[in-house]
Amino acid sequence: MKTRRDFLRSTVLGASATWTVPMFVDRTFADLDLGARDLATQAVTGKDDTILVVLQLAGGNDGLNTLAPYADDEYHRARPQIAKNEKQIIKLSDHVGLNRSMPFLGGLFKEGNLGVIQGVGYPNPNRSHFVSTSIWETADLSNRSSTGWIGRYFDNACMGADPTVGISLNKTQPEAFGATRNPGVCLSSPGLYRWLHGGGEKAQAEEFFASLNSPDQEEEPVDGSSIDMLGGKVGGIEGESNLAFLERVAMDARVSSAKVLELAAKHRTRVKYDGTPIARSLNMVSRLIAGGMPTRVYYVSHGGFDTHNRQVNSHDRLLGQLDSALKSFFSDLKEQGNSKRVVLMTFSEFGRRVAENASAGTDHGRASCQFILGEGVKGGLYGSHPSLTDLDKGDLKHTVDFRGVYATLLEKWLKTPSKPVLGGDFKKLGFLG
Amino acid sequence: MLPTAPDKWSIFEASHLLRRAGFGGSPAEVRKLHAMGRKGAVESLLDAQESRNATPLPDWAERETALANSRKAMAELREIREETKDMSPERREQTLRTKRQQKQRTNRRHQVEAQTWWFQKLLKTEAPLREKMVIFWHDHFATSFRKVKQPVLLMKQNELFRSEALGSFKTLTHEILRDPAMMLYLDVQTSKKGQPNENFAREVMELFTLGEGNYTEQDIKEAARAFTGYKINRLNGQVRTNRRQRDLGEKTIFGRTEKFDGPGVVDLLFEQPAVTRMIPTKLWEFFVADNPPEEGISALARSFEAAEFQIKPLLREIFLSKAFYDPKVIRNQIKSPIQYLVQMLKELEIGSPPVGQMLAAQQDLGQVLFMPPNVAGWDWGKGWINTNTLLSRYNTAGFVTKGSIESRSANDGDSMSMVMMDDKMTQRRMNGIKRANRRWAGPDYEQIVPRPLREDPEKLVDALILRFFQAPLGAKERQAFIEYARSKKGAIFTNKETGELCHLMMSTPQYQLA
Repeated sequence: MKTRRDFLRSTVLGASATWTVPMFVDRTFADLDLGARDLATQAVTGKDDTILVVLQLAGGNDGLNTLAPYADDEYHRARPQIAKNEKQIIKLSDHVGLNRSMPFLGGLFKEGNLGVIQGVGYPNPNRSHFVSTSIWETADLSNRSSTGWIGRYFDNACMGADPTVGISLNKTQPEAFGATRNPGVCLSSPGLYRWLHGGGEKAQAEEFFASLNSPDQEEEPVDGSSIDMLGGKVGGIEGESNLAFLERVAMDARVSSAKVLELAAKHRTRVKYDGTPIARSLNMVSRLIAGGMPTRVYYVSHGGFDTHNRQVNSHDRLLGQLDSALKSFFSDLKEQGNSKRVVLMTFSEFGRRVAENASAGTDHGRASCQFILGEGVKGGLYGSHPSLTDLDKGDLKHTVDFRGVYATLLEKWLKTPSKPVLGGDFKKLGFLG
Repeated sequence: MLPTAPDKWSIFEASHLLRRAGFGGSPAEVRKLHAMGRKGAVESLLDAQESRNATPLPDWAERETALANSRKAMAELREIREETKDMSPERREQTLRTKRQQKQRTNRRHQVEAQTWWFQKLLKTEAPLREKMVIFWHDHFATSFRKVKQPVLLMKQNELFRSEALGSFKTLTHEILRDPAMMLYLDVQTSKKGQPNENFAREVMELFTLGEGNYTEQDIKEAARAFTGYKINRLNGQVRTNRRQRDLGEKTIFGRTEKFDGPGVVDLLFEQPAVTRMIPTKLWEFFVADNPPEEGISALARSFEAAEFQIKPLLREIFLSKAFYDPKVIRNQIKSPIQYLVQMLKELEIGSPPVGQMLAAQQDLGQVLFMPPNVAGWDWGKGWINTNTLLSRYNTAGFVTKGSIESRSANDGDSMSMVMMDDKMTQRRMNGIKRANRRWAGPDYEQIVPRPLREDPEKLVDALILRFFQAPLGAKERQAFIEYARSKKGAIFTNKETGELCHLMMSTPQYQLA
């Protein structure tokens, strides 16, 4: 797989044979240190490797109406208007059931490919959307880190990898991708993911464009282990100026653009997806996987979970959209023959209060649930469901630390030590055998 | 007080002020500002006035029409209730659904009109600093069409930001508490005694006045009780109180126990030390640079408190300070998408932009007016830039400059046209761009890049660098542009080639900086 360094060599210098290379292009790229090339090519991003899809449920998903403790009287007492009764759920155990809007997930649970983690949270939770999202995405409870947990995985385990090692199907970069070196790329529409320039001498304009959008030189990382960071939400290199940052992104855009265009065009799916944004995003992920992108982590979002107000219909609808999109995605992967390579994890910044509010909605709470899906997953319920009577100021107490979920995925699925990424040892769960 | 800069200044400092305190401008506009001297220029920006009619509001947003419209809507509602009374449940549901859809369509149209109206105002305003502050407040007290479905309420809020743009932060915070759009956005409207909704109480402390770490969860819980029982009159948008839903009991907030009501809590917030720092910090980040220096913020915080939370003296202090004109500050701010678009149009002297495309571009670039992503507003600086938005910026510039017109047919076998043909979304977008391309005439290159100038590639590039970067550029880039201009010069340098050169100059990391 081509790295950005190889790309520089082959494309810019190769193509430039057709016309006179300005001196600066020549100087910049001829100076590249040959020795660095080996470092740049690593097996870590291979197209047959395992893939993690992270799916954000933005706004604070109400865990208690997603995975409802239908058999608990306390649940119905706390939520007289919005609680799910036995008929409105898909039973997973004598105690809990899935919201009925998610028949696909229900089926997956029966087949043993859905792990449901109950009571996930972290100590001293924060109820601000922004702070708590940051905490989940950076895996740093003090909310000081400017790198994300996935970004640190790229930095630690994917040194020298292609910029497309991570792809976010968002217009903005998720904090989880914040990295010192390689934050992955964002794209929302592959067809438009390229530089459109007119004129007959297109190749020539592109050549100038290429040179203008390359940093003067690429510095090699001194040592993969040190991650010394400054503040700011999107990561970045200590002391890096805005211009250097822009040049780095411009370079990544150019390299990944070529690859995405080439690969995304290869696959055509026969599976039908809904027109919802989450379905469209997952459709795109499946194409990129089918095309053979070297991407290890994809990130997609499904928003609207901040259900303070009359939540029953809207929350059920959101879960239904999620379920339907996941159904299409996994049958698409199966058809491609890639279903064994992909594990998907959902997360949300927090759950909601146990008691409903006066507007038949729920306010910001704490612990919630997470789904882990895929053929490689050992299905079942993990963690214990938090008590509805032993509360902390009206909130569920978490029983599983989300960093344990990350640790499990990093070690058992992405096959990398979790400690350097998470900054500590966390108790792993059994959902990946 | 921050150390001040001398009155004598360079044209590059003048263009810096115009970019940061406004949206940049043409070379002539920069020269005009420079001639005023530093103090004169700053005062002219602070005092700029503009009649309310300079960019007329859409008619539905005018107070009288809005009132008449909501009267009409109420009457219609009554009528429908009457009409559907005897219908079968299915028919009734059907009728109501049709009505709802009509209403949604109207609202969507009004949203677009509101967005277009403000964008035009940003481009044409005679009071650019005031508009820039309207954006600042819109980001600070973020409210979005996504939750507040009635565009008229957001327009009303927008007018509030304009009238207090350089006024008092305290007044504005009091006003925002009874602003219908904000009340709907943060669920004040549904918060009542016994079951208070904490949304507003939390954000008013965390995001609007004090910042994280300057209050406790208990303060929020108690303050939420004070923000109960406020209702919006659906007819005229006025706020009234509902006695039964108000919690009139004693609350303990920041260690004080009183029968606080909403305005009482706001007054209390303005007694907390942290309130003097948040706005100076955010203004520094907005106008100067990230990571504000502690001594700068302390100085501004003292001034802010002394001026009883007035914004105008604070801005004067910033724009006259030495720190603002530090060489490390100049041309080192990543343009927000709105800044990027408006500044580009001004630099190309485009008075009537293709408004539809400007809206689409806001979406692609990640900043849609009236639609901040959440109550914390937009994520500024490096947050604007990723591979996707950067390519979108380049392509937006291609569209506006006409530098990327596909002269050949779309299906000429170029690798792209084959890509993603089954992606209907992309296809629609591509077709939309093509249609818009045909309709959009482009900048007046005869005017801004006169023919004689095009004969000397070096002079041409230097003139354009001054126009687009308003400062000397690195030798590497300058040389590349000149090479490109030379390579094109064989034939005649038509408007098409000029557009392509402009596009290339804008498709650079440097052009993303203001």
